Amino acid sequence: MTDSKYLRLTPTRQSGVIGNASLWLGPDHLLCVESMIFTEEYKRFYYRDIQAFIIRRTKFRGILGLIILVPLTLFTWGAIGMGYAGDTGGSVFCLIMSGIFGLILLLNFAFGPTVRCYLKSAVQTEELPSLNRLGRARRAIARLRPLIIAAQGQLSPGEIPERMREFNAGKPAQDGVATNPDPPIINP
Amino acid sequence: MILGEPGPPRAVPSPRALTCPKCKSPLEFSLFNHPELGSCANCGSKLQVEAFPALFRREGSGRDGELVMEGESTCFYHPAKKAVRPCEGCGRFVCGLCDCELHGQHFCPSCLEVGRKKGKIKNLENHRTLYDSIALTLATVPILLVFTYVYSFITAPAALYIAIRYWNAPRGLVRRTKIRLILAIIFATAEIAAWLIGIYFIFNNRRTND
Repeated sequence: MTDSKYLRLTPTRQSGVIGNASLWLGPDHLLCVESMIFTEEYKRFYYRDIQAFIIRRTKFRGILGLIILVPLTLFTWGAIGMGYAGDTGGSVFCLIMSGIFGLILLLNFAFGPTVRCYLKSAVQTEELPSLNRLGRARRAIARLRPLIIAAQGQLSPGEIPERMREFNAGKPAQDGVATNPDPPIINP
Repeated sequence: MILGEPGPPRAVPSPRALTCPKCKSPLEFSLFNHPELGSCANCGSKLQVEAFPALFRREGSGRDGELVMEGESTCFYHPAKKAVRPCEGCGRFVCGLCDCELHGQHFCPSCLEVGRKKGKIKNLENHRTLYDSIALTLATVPILLVFTYVYSFITAPAALYIAIRYWNAPRGLVRRTKIRLILAIIFATAEIAAWLIGIYFIFNNRRTND
């Protein structure tokens, strides 16, 4: 009973300590799958309801790079030191380990800057954990854009201030705030 | 102040205002639909915003259902309200308030709740248990860990039971084959066979020694 109406949008990525997350394209909605070892949670975001994606660049790539740099340096020193001491076995082991950490460091930088991507609808702002790199997030949004445009229509950058003015003209609002009357006060 | 008198107007944040995820201050329009990262005017976070027309869509106020006139059908749940359509689940007439639209289908609140609980309406399903993963874990983890292989005496039959019992149960909502269940059955059967052979040899050796 596997549902084949979904197409994978992003590969499965670590989310939290033991969970992972992925995004799937449905016929009229985006499906966010969050797995926790033996269970899966689903969140559906209908294309007609998606208001915006917000990508925020984070410093995690740099921090991760520094963390990886510590064992890389230690193993490289170890390899040189053991090489001078004549311990070939130890030197080769340290060299392999420093190679592994070097590769991880290289991949960390090759994948591009780390980001947090948020999806905003009328009633919620959800983080999409599987979109954790800038390039991946942009590619995913580029694939989603035509589907959302098909459901909602297009919006050019120049149109936005005009649309916001029009929207605010319909309601008494100032700088992103709207005025609502207080509920009646009951005074016995 | 007296009963029913409205209080002074108060400012509430507009749901339209997109805010910076870090500092929560409203974002400038210049950031919207720009191909490169821009900076939040307040905290300086590097941001990119992709906005869509739904951001400027006016949501209608909540439907409250029209009052019924003489000779008109009434809502099953609200006898004073006019029925607008029948529920596609149970056929009961529902008013504008009780009419819940889902992919062009219209349901009453109780059918929607029943559909969600029983998993009949797939688009409302938001949780699934992965029995195939449970079976495979029970079948493999005890033998992979050196000191826990003895537990396979219990976990292997349990894995076999789960794999057979949930063979036809829905797996993940997205693509998921039966490979985990098949592997679980293979491993669990092999473990049970190994235990039976081991027990047979132990008893056979004792009998021979006696």
